[in-house]
Amino acid sequence: MSIRFEDVTYVYNPKTPEPVEALHNISLEIEEGSFTALIGRTGCGKSTLVQHLNALLHPTSGTVFIDTFVNASQKKKRDKKLKPLREKVGLVFQFPEYQLFEETIEKDVAFGPKNFGDSDEVALEKAHEALQLVGLDESFYKRSPFEISGGEKRRVALAGVLAMKPKYLVVDEPTAGLDPLGAKKLMELFTKIHEAGSTIILVTHDMDLVLGYCTDVFVLDHGKVALKGKPNDLFGQDVSRFSLQTPAIFDFAFRLEKAGYKIDKNKLNRVEDLAKAIVEGRR
Amino acid sequence: MTSIALGKYVPYDTWVHRLDARTKLFATILLMVAVFLPMPTWSMTLLFQGALLVIISILLACTKTPLSWILSSLKMLWIMVIFLLVVYIVVPKSENVLGIAWSVNGWTVYWDSFAEAARIVARLVMMIMIGTALTSSTKPLDLTYALEWYFTPLKVIHFPAAEVAMTISIALRFIPTLLEDTMRVMRAQASRGVDFQHGGLFRRIAGLTSLIIPLFVSSLTRSQELGDAMECRCYDPREKRTRYRLFHFRAADFVIAFFAAAILVGVAVTSGLHLDFFSMMGVTTL
Repeated sequence: MSIRFEDVTYVYNPKTPEPVEALHNISLEIEEGSFTALIGRTGCGKSTLVQHLNALLHPTSGTVFIDTFVNASQKKKRDKKLKPLREKVGLVFQFPEYQLFEETIEKDVAFGPKNFGDSDEVALEKAHEALQLVGLDESFYKRSPFEISGGEKRRVALAGVLAMKPKYLVVDEPTAGLDPLGAKKLMELFTKIHEAGSTIILVTHDMDLVLGYCTDVFVLDHGKVALKGKPNDLFGQDVSRFSLQTPAIFDFAFRLEKAGYKIDKNKLNRVEDLAKAIVEGRR
Repeated sequence: MTSIALGKYVPYDTWVHRLDARTKLFATILLMVAVFLPMPTWSMTLLFQGALLVIISILLACTKTPLSWILSSLKMLWIMVIFLLVVYIVVPKSENVLGIAWSVNGWTVYWDSFAEAARIVARLVMMIMIGTALTSSTKPLDLTYALEWYFTPLKVIHFPAAEVAMTISIALRFIPTLLEDTMRVMRAQASRGVDFQHGGLFRRIAGLTSLIIPLFVSSLTRSQELGDAMECRCYDPREKRTRYRLFHFRAADFVIAFFAAAILVGVAVTSGLHLDFFSMMGVTTL
């Protein structure tokens, strides 16, 4: 079971004077149980690709397989029942705080599970669980989602998706605009969810996060898959041609190598790894 | 959101697009008036409406507007057509020159009723065509500038021309933004299992709430932000403003304005003097 793109092309505004091809013959496979990063410059098609994962968009041509669900163009045979898919693939958009609408936080988080057929009690239970997971305690349950801070709103919105217990969790730039500690906490939350068995797909511009948390990475460029592989292999080469930045740790390691150190970049993911590598390099 | 084709700007580069917005607005209004002027006889109506339809069609074709847009707006007119027909058939008219269509048990229906309904529909269609030709070839902002230009003389009687123009242009500016917001919230809620198309009434109303409230919140935030940004740049509606984009009338503008005026004058004179070309030529028509 996995998510598989086969020759997927997507065109915005077809049949107008200005059609825009956002995806061009994309073929890729996101394995179940992975923590996959999608990276690339602004406008390279990441967000478009992500919207194919729960059939918010249908390919102009080609097919997307999500486990057994088939997402294809209108002309071809495709699955019509979207609800089971949307329960399975949880999509957290950029700046999800804009989607809040209920009177109380717990009701807003319970909205998703209720849509998928849970009773009020079960939905609320799931909501409380999800809110605990994102670090919001009981004192928040009955408050209005419009009176809390921006970072808290984001966590409520995230809980709204987590409450559906998706098998695949897709997060589009979750750390944008968060303070560094908040971003770190959020990433640790994703790691926790990943370790509990979910597949995480992360769209980001922060290469340190890719190196620190992800198991696989796809680089998109101009609507095509430019590179794929393990983060440690990817950052061993020059990524500036995709308008990407080398992670700080790798940058540091490169400079140390220039100065004569020997550093094993295969296990270099966090600052602690770098420290260890430096110590080993001295011996 | 592709259904909102009416009134959408299409970025081609035709001679109609290059015309000054003020000219286009002027010509549009004149043509619309011409379309609505009554003619003395049915054959004259047919002649003039036909001629106007040809002129407007040529104009529309020049803007390269897809024909499907017009057709889709005609689809919406169907209910109107049926309604008009019913009204005209039920309500008897004093003047009937086209003869009896049918007469059952003292209920007489004249062909005039049908002709009347057809005339109104033709007028509406032409209105839509002219309007589409204008909006598809003119950027909304240019249109506001044109409006402001026409309002300027009204400043003498303290009409807030600049403010009205600013309000209109802000409203126009935010239509695509709001549409984008709508799409964004719709996608987010669809991911949370909202089905906007199917399901019972209650479910759908709940779905709509989840769309409308975030939209209200975000548009209020946006207007607050815009107000702050404008204040930061010292916006004062009472100040005299200069403009980055300047409009210039060109030869083509004068030609078009002249043509539009000529058409209106011709139609108005014929209408006002009850001229009947056919009887002048010695042909008897209805």
